[in-house]
Amino acid sequence: MANIFPRGSNFLPFKIILCLAVAGGAVSLAVPYYFTPKYTRVGYQPQQPVNFSHQIHAGQLGMDCRYCHSFVEVAAHSNVPTTQVCMNCHSQVQKENPKLAPVRESWATGKSIEWVQIHKTPDYVYFNHSAHVNRGVSCVSCHGKVNEMAVVYHAESHSMSWCLDCHRAPQDFVRPLDKITDLNWEAPQLENESKKEAQQRVGKGLVEKLQLNPPDKNCAGCHR
Amino acid sequence: MSKRIFQHPEAPAGGKKYWRSLGQLNDTPAFRGWLEREFPQGASELKGGDVSRRSFLQLMGASMALAGLSFAGCRRPVKHLIPFTKGTEWSIPGKALFFSTSMPTRRGYQPLLAETHDGRPTKIEGNPGHPASKGATDTWAQSSILDLYDPDRARFFKLKGEKKTAADFEKALDETIAGAGDGAGLAFLLEGNPSPTRERLRGEIERKFPKALWAVYEPLGDDAAVEAAKAAFGEGVRAVAQIEKADIILSLDADFLGSDGGVTQQRAFASRRKVDGGNVMSRLYTVENHYTITGGAADHRLRVPASEVGAVALELAAAISAISKDESLSKLAGAVAKTAAKSREEWIKITAEDLVANRGKSLVLAGSRQPAGVQALVLAINAALGNLGTTLVGAKTTAKPTAGIADVVRGINDNSLTSIIIVGGNPAYNAPVDFDFAAKLKTVPNVVRVGFYEDETSDFVTWHAPLSHYLESWGDGFAADGSYVSVQPMILPLYGGWSELDVLGKFAGLKKTDGLGLVQETFKEIVKPNDFTAVWAKFLHDGFVAGETPKPIALTLSAEAVGKLVAEKLPMAALDGDSYEVVLVGDSKVDDGRYANNGWLQELPDPITKLTWDNAALISPATAKKLGIDTSAGFFKDHFHYARIEISVGERKLDLPALVIPGHAENSITIPLGYGRTKAGRVGTVGKTSEGFVTDSDEMTSGGFNGYALCTSAAPYFMTGAKVKLTGKTYKLGVTQEHGSLEGRGPDITREATLEEFKAEPKFAKTMGMDGHIPRDASLYQHPPLNDIHQWAMAIDLNTCIGCSACMVACQAENNVPIVGKRQVIEGREMHWLRMDRYFASTDENDADPELVSQPMMCQHCENAPCETVCPVNATVHSEDGLNVMAYNRCIGTRYCANNCPFKVRRFNFFDYNERKIAKLRDWNLTSERGMEDSLKLSKNPNVTVRMRGVMEKCTFCVQRIQEAKIAAKVAIRDQGPARIPADMFTSACAQVCPTGAIVFGDKKNPESAVSKLLENERGYRLFEYLSLSARVTYLARIRNPNPKMPGAEKSGKAIKGSEYFHPHHAEPTHEAAPGASNGGHA
Repeated sequence: MANIFPRGSNFLPFKIILCLAVAGGAVSLAVPYYFTPKYTRVGYQPQQPVNFSHQIHAGQLGMDCRYCHSFVEVAAHSNVPTTQVCMNCHSQVQKENPKLAPVRESWATGKSIEWVQIHKTPDYVYFNHSAHVNRGVSCVSCHGKVNEMAVVYHAESHSMSWCLDCHRAPQDFVRPLDKITDLNWEAPQLENESKKEAQQRVGKGLVEKLQLNPPDKNCAGCHR
Repeated sequence: MSKRIFQHPEAPAGGKKYWRSLGQLNDTPAFRGWLEREFPQGASELKGGDVSRRSFLQLMGASMALAGLSFAGCRRPVKHLIPFTKGTEWSIPGKALFFSTSMPTRRGYQPLLAETHDGRPTKIEGNPGHPASKGATDTWAQSSILDLYDPDRARFFKLKGEKKTAADFEKALDETIAGAGDGAGLAFLLEGNPSPTRERLRGEIERKFPKALWAVYEPLGDDAAVEAAKAAFGEGVRAVAQIEKADIILSLDADFLGSDGGVTQQRAFASRRKVDGGNVMSRLYTVENHYTITGGAADHRLRVPASEVGAVALELAAAISAISKDESLSKLAGAVAKTAAKSREEWIKITAEDLVANRGKSLVLAGSRQPAGVQALVLAINAALGNLGTTLVGAKTTAKPTAGIADVVRGINDNSLTSIIIVGGNPAYNAPVDFDFAAKLKTVPNVVRVGFYEDETSDFVTWHAPLSHYLESWGDGFAADGSYVSVQPMILPLYGGWSELDVLGKFAGLKKTDGLGLVQETFKEIVKPNDFTAVWAKFLHDGFVAGETPKPIALTLSAEAVGKLVAEKLPMAALDGDSYEVVLVGDSKVDDGRYANNGWLQELPDPITKLTWDNAALISPATAKKLGIDTSAGFFKDHFHYARIEISVGERKLDLPALVIPGHAENSITIPLGYGRTKAGRVGTVGKTSEGFVTDSDEMTSGGFNGYALCTSAAPYFMTGAKVKLTGKTYKLGVTQEHGSLEGRGPDITREATLEEFKAEPKFAKTMGMDGHIPRDASLYQHPPLNDIHQWAMAIDLNTCIGCSACMVACQAENNVPIVGKRQVIEGREMHWLRMDRYFASTDENDADPELVSQPMMCQHCENAPCETVCPVNATVHSEDGLNVMAYNRCIGTRYCANNCPFKVRRFNFFDYNERKIAKLRDWNLTSERGMEDSLKLSKNPNVTVRMRGVMEKCTFCVQRIQEAKIAAKVAIRDQGPARIPADMFTSACAQVCPTGAIVFGDKKNPESAVSKLLENERGYRLFEYLSLSARVTYLARIRNPNPKMPGAEKSGKAIKGSEYFHPHHAEPTHEAAPGASNGGHA
């Protein structure tokens, strides 16, 4: 009886197994990479209704973050400034700039500017800005170097493990309270000290002084 | 080898038993069946309804396929941040603001502090600065936030049911005013409301329309007490009881801790029930027909039908005058005295002796439903006891007498009324039936109604306008203690409603007709400020005018007037064997029916009956037996079905289910008013309830039965000569008394002693039950260290807890706890994080006078928590500061934790109750449209997760408040060291609302905190110590103060006299006592 299947088909099961293994491997590698906040969130850079540049305001002009985000030290939310805050300056400066038309319109009509939200924690996470900026966590730790962003984007992953990196080892991140809004600050290095070592030296001192004890096992610290 | 099961030790025979229901007392099969399952059979299965398993799978498949097609879930939704254009003063996004205001009630304004988030009020607290509140409120103030956002509120201006605009309404009012002439034919029918601005407007209106009729109707008012005080002490004086000054209190049908009182009375009473710090404990005697929370707090309680309370008062007067040789009292008593009923002769004599022995320090109170004759006699008794000026003082009352609803009816009858202005109230529903008010209203040409709901009355009016909520309006009023308090709006009227002052201001025709202007004018008159702006700002900030308390007025009793009242208005009725007495009482939840559409209140178990969503005829076990209700099987065949009875008083009939309540007077039937609403809104209206996915598909109704059907103007509150028969039909009731049962571990859970026992052995509570013998802290498991600088703990004083259940509603409001509906309650799925366990206690099973104990029960935050060890996904773990925390986003809903919880305080969210539409509350199923009503979204606390389906929930010790305080401490301290929260800077919602201060929450590691001191209290005990739980909630044992001379006094106090129950074979320190094996008798 003639062979129904060609000889080569003997290897078919092996080929199938190999393909499945490769495909399965690819999927199992891809999921933890692509389905994580690190991939899905970082780099999100939506078009804002006003072409506002943090680079100009916070970078070139050196305005403090808290001029606009005025309640960051007292409230859970870091507020987006009211149109009034924009107009404090722009009723004098760049009065006719067409880029500011939406701001002037908002001021005239009383209708709010609808900024697109970039950083969003899930509903079950209760992040509090004031708890962080008053205890040594800088804006830059979570939002990146906003002073260099012409258009703001999502710089860090904001995943839970990313939060815990700091909650478990605050000395790697915290800085003196007068440097919180200084986004370019780096711990001053001593001789023969790496950047990391300098940060850890400063950080350890702060952890001790402030007796920092961020919730690292207490779920209720962030989830209520 | 079979698994060894740890058995809870049996209580020895002869001791006092604590039981929640008669089913439990008699250990009926139905009760056992309920007990041995967490939920009734099949509760977690899909059954019945209109979605079969097959169609369910189809639906699920289809939705999965659709989800896969669109990939909608993969895209990040674009969200916007919308700042104000202009900054608002004080407003910080994300921070709550607190404003003082007050809630109008018929007995006085309740001073409050409203928490607002971004301009929307979300939570009500008592005004901590006001002496009458000190931060506490009642259930009604707590739940008023839900009323504000009720989607069923009246929203439109309507002319004969047709939508119009506010301008049309205003025009119509102008026409009415223009056509009113001197006011002949014009009548105002209003609610009781002690507001000086309203009084001022009344003066203006009466000047402008001298012939207008100004009538006030409150179905549960204090008319009789006012009449008696007026006769006894003269015009403009009211008698104020100083409960905190009385050593001996006798309440004659006066539920002064419940419907006849408020926060002030509760606080005053509790201040004298504390035994610590050399406080002299007061003694309370109660005479009542049905168990009230006042009766539950009493040391001695006499069950008497309400219609015999007058006779008891007379017998008491006779007994007192016999001891004290008081002639005038003797004359009063002798004038009408009948032969005293033998059964209570001794009780009255001993009580009288105790009262006389405490001359000037005793107090006798009469309930508001008792007629003026009883009220007057009680005033005379107080005078004879020398209490006038000490425990009963006089206060000025500015309220001028008003006409009543009877005068309005008379006006309608003789066709003299052409226009009636009805603001608030609901007379078509709650007026006495003999008035036939609804039908009468139809004959009046112009009826203008400003009402909060489009209710029963709205059907019979010409114009209907929406009434604004007190959180939306300006106002002012007098609190129960006579202080002048402010009402300020938290939010603009959601539906453009008018306030009462807006309407009356229009009629008064003053220049300023807005609420603010009107109130400011009154404020100037009353306070006479030098610097108006500053004093007014302080008034709004503080919420009241602080200052010296008005001096009490000397009271002189007019014996003649009292004698006349007693002779005329003290009906004597003795019940014979065949006829029954019907007593209509204000409901503890919906009051006179006004709160019927409030889901929180509807689902709140009544403090005594534990009934939700309905009312029922309350009867005693003996009366039930007499009526032929089968008591042998535990009164009902399956815990849901209750026998219906038909009550007829003359021609009036009412058919409703009977609920057997121990401690009820024989031959007496109590019916709570306020139910049976035919047009209350989608929550409160009587209607059919038929949900999918339930254990049986029987139709059921919720909403209760209208007790006003028996209410007449001649006998509004109680009537004798009623006939009762069994109808043979049944009705399903949602009674929660057996839910979360702790399996008869009564004496272990609620510990009590008499004052004498306590003095002899102050630490009695610590050695009761197994506690003296089992080694503590024997756990197999390693737990994370409890090393935070704060350690949270709670102390609950059972001695001052009166069971009012305000904590339950406060918890619901604070923690976004959803309501589930009657059918789900019957399935045992109510979501309350905090429940109020009510136990009856008796030595003898057939004792008709069991004692009553209330015990708030919530997560005990055990340090060795049995729930934590069984969670497969670590969704419930322990925090360093001693909280048993629950991470909802991790929970997969195995419900193992609830099974392993010895307290049954974990609640599982079966059906996404938060996402149920109000319209679908009664006939919800899986295919129903989902989504919370927009207005209800505004009521949620933004700092607490609104939980979804399939997640376990429980008390968190208000972790959102803990975190807020922690963060506030961090912000305050910055880089200057550890962020320590100052002692008692904040408290949990239940502790904050508690009017008696029974619940205290705080940091036990801080030696200055109140809770750390209470944890050291000698009465303190923790539940189930022998399970090595190390609970963070400490209960303080209850102390009763019985009169040793009283027969039956020996029943009160410790459950087992002189000994503890203890079974040696369980005593060895075995691993079985570890939390993992704590599953009671059915591991």
